[in-house]
Amino acid sequence: MTRARSLGLVWPYLLAGALGYLLGSIAVPALAALADGSTSTPLARVGFALRETPSAPSAAWAVLDADLQVARSSLSAPQREVFDLVVAVRGLDNGGSSDWSRAEQVCRALTWPRCDKEALAQLKDLSLP
Amino acid sequence: MKRKFAAHALGPIALFAVALLVGYARASGPRARFAQAVATLTDAERAALPAAAALTVANATWALGSEEAVRKMLRTELDRLPETDGRARARALIRFGIIDSNPDGQAAVFFQACVADSSLCERAPLIAAAERETHARLVEPGRQLPLYLMAGHP
Repeated sequence: MTRARSLGLVWPYLLAGALGYLLGSIAVPALAALADGSTSTPLARVGFALRETPSAPSAAWAVLDADLQVARSSLSAPQREVFDLVVAVRGLDNGGSSDWSRAEQVCRALTWPRCDKEALAQLKDLSLP
Repeated sequence: MKRKFAAHALGPIALFAVALLVGYARASGPRARFAQAVATLTDAERAALPAAAALTVANATWALGSEEAVRKMLRTELDRLPETDGRARARALIRFGIIDSNPDGQAAVFFQACVADSSLCERAPLIAAAERETHARLVEPGRQLPLYLMAGHP
């Protein structure tokens, strides 16, 4: 069997595998998200993350970033900055790990009376909806 | 001819189907984690989720915010919360009463809290609710029960 002939037998399999994988990973989830739009909105997903402090793989947190932007844009100043503070304390844009330095920075910008780490650590629980 | 084509196409079609499933499972599993979790909640729990961001902001402001920030937040909360959500409105009003330095103002606000949530018209549950709020506040003013509740007014 020549090399060209064996390639001719293999390429339909390669093409089918690649096409199937691409459609499965991009097109199908996009269509499923469109169909599921009414039950799982960005605000609902952010609300769930705020309520539960869930553990999730990095891909899930990456998707939540876009949802956080939607939730943030629904608030006006200074609530928006307070939301940023909660996001930093709860680590919602950092894979679930608190970003204390950013939280302190946002807290100081709000000119709140206490912005020490102890107070911010307590805020993590006290802010739960 | 047809049989020959079917024999050749069957393998790629099967591989396409398997790859489609593998791609979908790999992509949607971790990505849809939050969406799947939301879908498992009851209708009532799901309905409460969109307001969670605003409620979280209110709680955070109450915990650490300056007096001015708290007053601004409470006004926003009372504008946002519907009259039908009596418990949440009463909670905001109790917070207002706690940071109000005037006993007459406190009395008026606590009366409004009683109107919003009738379970707070009795003195004991009102004090218990106010104590929960003072414990959730980490800065002054608002860490002590207000004079109106301490002094034994009805």
